[in-house]
Amino acid sequence: MIRKILFILPLICVLASAGPLPAMPPVQRTVLPNQLVLQVSEDHSLPFVTFQLLVNAGSWRDPAGEEGLAHLTARGLLLGTSRHTVNEINEELDFMGASLGASAARDYADLSLRVLKKDLDRGFALFMEALTSPTFPDEEIRREVEKTMAMVQSAEDQPEDVAQKEFQKVLFQGSPYAHPVNGTKESLPRLTREAVFRFYQSYYHPNNVILTIVGDIGADELKTKLLPQLESWPTGNIPTAKFEVKFESEKKTIKIDRAITQANVIVGHSGVERSNPDYYALTVMNYILGGGGFGSRLVEEIRNKRGLAYSVASFFDPGKYPGSFEVLLQTKNASAREAISLVFQQVERIQKDLVSEKELESAKKYLIGSFPMRFNTQAKMANFLSQVEYYDLGRDYPEKYASFIGSVTREEVLRVAQKYLHPDKCILIIVANLKEAGTE
Amino acid sequence: MRRLELNSIARKLACITLLLVLSFSIPLAEAGLKEEVSETVLSNGLKVLLLENHKAPLITFQVWYRVGSRNEAWGKTGLSHMLEHMMFKGTEKVGPEEFSRIIQENGGNDNAFTSRDYTAYFENLSAERIEVAIALESDRMGNLMLREGDFRTERMVVMEERRLRTEDSPQAYLGEQLEATAFQLQPYHWPIIGWMEDIAGLTLEDLKAYYKTYYTPVNALLVVVGDFKREELLPKIEKAFGSYSKGEVPQQAKGLEVPQVGERRILVQREAQLPSLIMGYHVPNLREPDSYVLEVIATVLSAGKSSRLHQSLVREKRLAFGADADQSLLSRDPSLFYLSADPLPGKEVSDVEKALDQEIERLQKEPVAERELEKAKNQLEAAFVFGQDSMFNQARLLASYEISQSWKDIDEYLPCIRKVTAEDIQRVAKRYLVPDNRTVGILVSLPPKEGKPAPGGPSGKEENIR
Repeated sequence: MIRKILFILPLICVLASAGPLPAMPPVQRTVLPNQLVLQVSEDHSLPFVTFQLLVNAGSWRDPAGEEGLAHLTARGLLLGTSRHTVNEINEELDFMGASLGASAARDYADLSLRVLKKDLDRGFALFMEALTSPTFPDEEIRREVEKTMAMVQSAEDQPEDVAQKEFQKVLFQGSPYAHPVNGTKESLPRLTREAVFRFYQSYYHPNNVILTIVGDIGADELKTKLLPQLESWPTGNIPTAKFEVKFESEKKTIKIDRAITQANVIVGHSGVERSNPDYYALTVMNYILGGGGFGSRLVEEIRNKRGLAYSVASFFDPGKYPGSFEVLLQTKNASAREAISLVFQQVERIQKDLVSEKELESAKKYLIGSFPMRFNTQAKMANFLSQVEYYDLGRDYPEKYASFIGSVTREEVLRVAQKYLHPDKCILIIVANLKEAGTE
Repeated sequence: MRRLELNSIARKLACITLLLVLSFSIPLAEAGLKEEVSETVLSNGLKVLLLENHKAPLITFQVWYRVGSRNEAWGKTGLSHMLEHMMFKGTEKVGPEEFSRIIQENGGNDNAFTSRDYTAYFENLSAERIEVAIALESDRMGNLMLREGDFRTERMVVMEERRLRTEDSPQAYLGEQLEATAFQLQPYHWPIIGWMEDIAGLTLEDLKAYYKTYYTPVNALLVVVGDFKREELLPKIEKAFGSYSKGEVPQQAKGLEVPQVGERRILVQREAQLPSLIMGYHVPNLREPDSYVLEVIATVLSAGKSSRLHQSLVREKRLAFGADADQSLLSRDPSLFYLSADPLPGKEVSDVEKALDQEIERLQKEPVAERELEKAKNQLEAAFVFGQDSMFNQARLLASYEISQSWKDIDEYLPCIRKVTAEDIQRVAKRYLVPDNRTVGILVSLPPKEGKPAPGGPSGKEENIR
């Protein structure tokens, strides 16, 4: 297991860090007649192919009371089709050593395939079957719900997870980002096969989809084998849905008592959407504050100087719609108060004083210089391209990124720190042995 | 960072099977590595493995020391991992915590990990910046400054790390207890991160002696994979690392377990939502051909949703929401073959255990069908190919093989897997996967103590504790 709390850049931040792109392989982008957006990046160094398909059907679209529906629908794609049972599908995938996965995130659902070149036809056929003719058998849906319920219960033993769920719930105030993607123990029993089918029929149409293909595949193959199947998928109507942004804007403290040795702390508040023009200045600011691994101020003060935590990090979590800003840390119960107060000190400091020239330069050098590592495997490349398209960052995004980051000034860092950090209106979540933490 | 390589139990919890970790990483499966990798031993004994990979203008630069928790002594557990953390505390030329800052300023990422068998440091960065990694790694191989103040603070960080990983995780705690029971002689008895009491008792002198003994060219291994030219890189490495004196080859032989003569069974009783079950059978590592048979067995049991454990425990019997089989092929000393399961709420652990036993018995009694065996081999081979996609993993695999035995054995992996027969599986299952040879660990989940709010229930009271 790789412990990367210190580098906890949310998925979207990965995109944030492009630069001059000597290494960016060419990408073909096409919009098919049925409006499916197709992106292809050939990489013939290894005999396999990776597919990543995004459907604009993430958990933000869950109907009230049916939290978890988007995720269950995505999972349901793998549970049987008009031609094959779930067991037949799994047997066939395993026999090829292929993997087909589906899940939902906040903004979108995702169907991914990795398959050896020699099995491309069969693998892609299963991929398309799952996508276009799932049957969502009642029995399989029930099993999936039962399993998810068990996982939700089991996650109660992970204090970080408990804290995060509580934070989202409090911050987003019942708005579409408030609930866990998986659903809750209250909502899951309410999910039915009919609801899944309805959700699928509403959103799973080519005009709501981005497909990215990376790997050992050529233009001819694409044209003769894949395109006919993709193009035969009929367009459908996508219901319009409005995202109502809602945030808790007052200071609030939530304490959850557990028989554990560490206080798991989240300090945070509202954040921004990915399209916010200040996104790049925020990326640089956050790198200096708590996003930049061992170089960040939070790590320096809390871990390096005082040994109070193994991991401490801050991040903005921008989605299609405004997300959160969070500082996460774990420290022994008895140090909770001290660590929290150090977090506030650092947030206030970056709002008060200009960052140093050296800090600014270091942040820029890392963010720009590490760019080629954002897409150095097939899966990372597929994810990168999917997100550029989903968040509408522009096809020239990789070329422009270095200038987006490079043009950020110390004054801008100060300005965005003052505008987007709100230490006086933080939500504070503490999951700890409250007695030991002295916060009872 | 300064992260810890978790043992296979914890790895299971991270939803990555060992199988995948290993085989994801095997490079150039078909071509044969012997022709692709160059091995050079410098005059001071430092072994250097170079693999050119020009897919992207990047490199991974890795230094592996042949020292892990297996090299520790009773009462000093966690010393290897502690030293890993201290390796970032600087030298005469580089200030404390400067190392990572310099790498990041060069657009790179760096980190380190400790296992039972090794301590490894790596930098992933643009190929044109490789000299930065060479200079920094060379410097800390010979010139580490171990200061009391840094040590005291970093020891607190490591204790926080242990709380995070083990103390507050019922499953990780169970895994630690299982290993402490299964291994009585081998140093695999204790956790990589060390017992909390031992960490608290480590001293700067311990670290200095350990550094001197194990951080020598002759005990190190350098692996570079990426976009470079061998003939240009090697002289740079020789110049940077060649001047250190060889050092003495440390004593590496460790006592091995004596055969187990009856099942061991432990309970961990603590607050947890759900119980869990894990079983560990003593098995050989890759020095014995049976280990490859065990790779195939683990695949038949738990790779993919059509695998036996998933079909039986999760689908047919509906006893668990997850079940896994796992082993450490590349363990330097023999380790364990694990079976584990997460019971569904309301199910009895004893029924889950019975279901696992039935799957083992089935392996012993019936030959695996031809197609099922072919499926397992296909899965392992496909994972092989997928694993070539990451330079980091290529380097990591070369080094793991070398530490365990020899990097050249990577070329034996697929042929050995292909050779496994249905009879081999029956024979090996009968030989190793027997109750007398195993330790069973059960997490008995206790409800929260009285007087505390129900799980998940916030206290609601507002307070500002800044």
